[in-house]
Amino acid sequence: MTGAGAGSAAVRVQGLWKRFGQQVAVAGIDLELPAGKFIGLVGPNGAGKTTTLSMVTGLLRPDQGTVEVVGHDVWRDPVAVKARIGVLPEGLRLFERLSGRELLSYSGRLRGLPGAEVDRRATQLLDVLDLAGAQHKLVVDYSTGMRKKIGLATALLHNPEVLFLDEPFEGVDPVSAQTIRGVLERYTASGATVVFSSHVMELVESLCDWVAVMAAGRIRAQGTLAEVRGEAPTLQRAFLELVGAQGRDTASDLDWLGGGPR
Amino acid sequence: MSAGAHTSPAAGTAPITPVVVRLKLSLLRNGLRQSGGRRAAYITSAVVALLFAALQLTGFLALRGHAHIASVSVLAAAVLALGWAVMPLFFPGGDETLDPTRLVMLPLRPRPLVRALLAASLVGIGPLFTVLLLVGCVVSVAHGAAAYAVAVLALALALLVCVALARAVAAANIRLLTSRKGRDLAVLSGLVIAIGAQLVNFGMQRLGSAGLAQLEPAREVLQWVPPASAVAAVDATSRGSYGIAAAQLALTAAALVVLLGLWARSLTRLMTSPDASTLQPADAAVRERSRSGGLARLLPAGRTGTVMERSLRYVWRDPKTKAAWVTSLAIGLIVPVFNALQGTGSPYFACFAAGMLGIQMYNQFGQDTSAFWMVALTVSTPRDAYVELRGRALALLLITLPYATLVTVVTTALLGGWTRLPEVLGLSFALLGAMLATGAWTSARFPYSIPQEGYKNVAPGQAGLAWISIFGGMVAAALLCSPVIALLIWANVSANGHTWAWLLLPTGAAYGATLTFVGLRLAAPRTAARLPEILTAVSKG
Repeated sequence: MTGAGAGSAAVRVQGLWKRFGQQVAVAGIDLELPAGKFIGLVGPNGAGKTTTLSMVTGLLRPDQGTVEVVGHDVWRDPVAVKARIGVLPEGLRLFERLSGRELLSYSGRLRGLPGAEVDRRATQLLDVLDLAGAQHKLVVDYSTGMRKKIGLATALLHNPEVLFLDEPFEGVDPVSAQTIRGVLERYTASGATVVFSSHVMELVESLCDWVAVMAAGRIRAQGTLAEVRGEAPTLQRAFLELVGAQGRDTASDLDWLGGGPR
Repeated sequence: MSAGAHTSPAAGTAPITPVVVRLKLSLLRNGLRQSGGRRAAYITSAVVALLFAALQLTGFLALRGHAHIASVSVLAAAVLALGWAVMPLFFPGGDETLDPTRLVMLPLRPRPLVRALLAASLVGIGPLFTVLLLVGCVVSVAHGAAAYAVAVLALALALLVCVALARAVAAANIRLLTSRKGRDLAVLSGLVIAIGAQLVNFGMQRLGSAGLAQLEPAREVLQWVPPASAVAAVDATSRGSYGIAAAQLALTAAALVVLLGLWARSLTRLMTSPDASTLQPADAAVRERSRSGGLARLLPAGRTGTVMERSLRYVWRDPKTKAAWVTSLAIGLIVPVFNALQGTGSPYFACFAAGMLGIQMYNQFGQDTSAFWMVALTVSTPRDAYVELRGRALALLLITLPYATLVTVVTTALLGGWTRLPEVLGLSFALLGAMLATGAWTSARFPYSIPQEGYKNVAPGQAGLAWISIFGGMVAAALLCSPVIALLIWANVSANGHTWAWLLLPTGAAYGATLTFVGLRLAAPRTAARLPEILTAVSKG
């Protein structure tokens, strides 16, 4: 690792703000994500997860605040940062009129890797991710799960130190999800960092060893899974408490619903 | 279902034609009821279509007795049939009864179904428009009672052939039309219309100057092509050639039978085999790979070659990019060459090719759509941005440079102005360089989204940006070319100027290359500094 004096932080965010017109998407968050961990950024829809990840990866300019990835400022030192990160964004297209293999080849060569090495890695990635059979098909004809997998392959191709994945399991079938999971686990076991966003608590609980909870543009809690969970039996309960959705008891409403005719 | 077993024999014998016709009418009515805007659009298009048809009808009646009216009528019928054949390919969503797979769960036999669908197809503005036009065609050539009798038969046959043609084409291609490839094809339809309009325009000009006698050779062929042959039969009857008339009518009727047979066959196949929309043709992808495999070896290594390869692939594979390119290539050829063919052109019109193709450099990142993030993540320095933009410019030049040269050579050859060739080429290259330079700069400064669905080329709210980008850029490109234009004027007006005119070729080429280089140099730091803003701009819509 070349993290210049960054200690054990893979990502350090300070006072990050983003407004879209009247709407505050991210309201001054501070984050310190440890290196070599499987990190989950959780929160309900509209919490600001995608906006945060876009700003951290340099795809969206923050109104205020600083972001450091492995010790380098994302906006002042893009050369050092862009070579060290892999990104799978949500809601952005790929170059869909390329085949899966062509996309990997394009992306790898664009990053300056030698052609033969790109082809070797692409073959292995396509194999491991179960895309070898569809490698000559255009990405525009891929299913959601296949798109996520080819996106993941593109993000991994240059062997980044930190991997940012926005909703990597959204709309993915169980088989593909298991494949993605296996690859990511192997990747973090080697000391690399994965930061991924999700609103599926069970998934985060089973995958991550470090969690940051986000709601309404703010960080509500961050720490190891055990710290964030605290007294609560599951992360789901802890999360509902943190975002303040616990007080609503549905027992007294809708008392007419279910149980056959009365 | 047990009740169905009792009623199905009755349902099978009951005529389904009125049911399907009523279905078509309900679909029409409900479609209109959905929104006021749609109703207004429908009524407007109906009025316009009928006015147009009425005008045609009056025109045909006025031309009755003209020496070449038969040619016009036969040609009109042929064009009409062509329209019916291609319409379903480009506007597949237009008619829901056109998609027989919606009726797949009903216990229907192909023969009555074909009859019913054919009858339903006769309902609507399109058929009414066709009837009016065909009435004009047959009446304009009908002289005498026998001819009028044949005209009635010819009208019915021609109309049925048109409708059956549309249905047969649609049924044969329904798999294509509901797939991604079909939607890609639809994007290209605007282009066919644009280029078709250009061709028609030039055709009309030619007719205007040379007279209707020009159509005679076309008639010679088309009078034996259904449904134009039905109109020709009326003409033949008028002239007393009953044998020819009978043959032409029989030919039309035979065509109708063949079309109905083909239609029924593809209907049966459609309704008895599973929907293949989820099964992708694997061989198509393999073909695409092998075609572009050789290309990569010829391109330079590193980012330059990678960017060029992707750009060139997109010219071929991305429907929007392809449509833009084909339009540019076609218009860039048609305007100078057709004008030269008519003897009204000037060799300088050949610069049109360079200008039209140079437009492709504009809004480079908008052409990427939000996939631009993949580029943004690999651009860290102005140098990266420079290599990226240069790669795109080189890919463009790979097509444009030979094409503009070819168009210039052909135009000057047609006009016999070989002495002008060097100066026109020089001006073309200078213009191309200026377009690339301004295109690169506006790509960085005024990026905007190109929506991938439908016919729009600008996302809502960004039309202003697009105008600034393209028109500002073109004006700037023209201004940048002014030194070369000044030299050109000097060479043409001064006494011994044309002895030096050939120097405009190297001068123009060098000037264009310098402009491109400077433009890329200026655009690169802007691109590198504005990556997130560009990404936001091109991700709308």
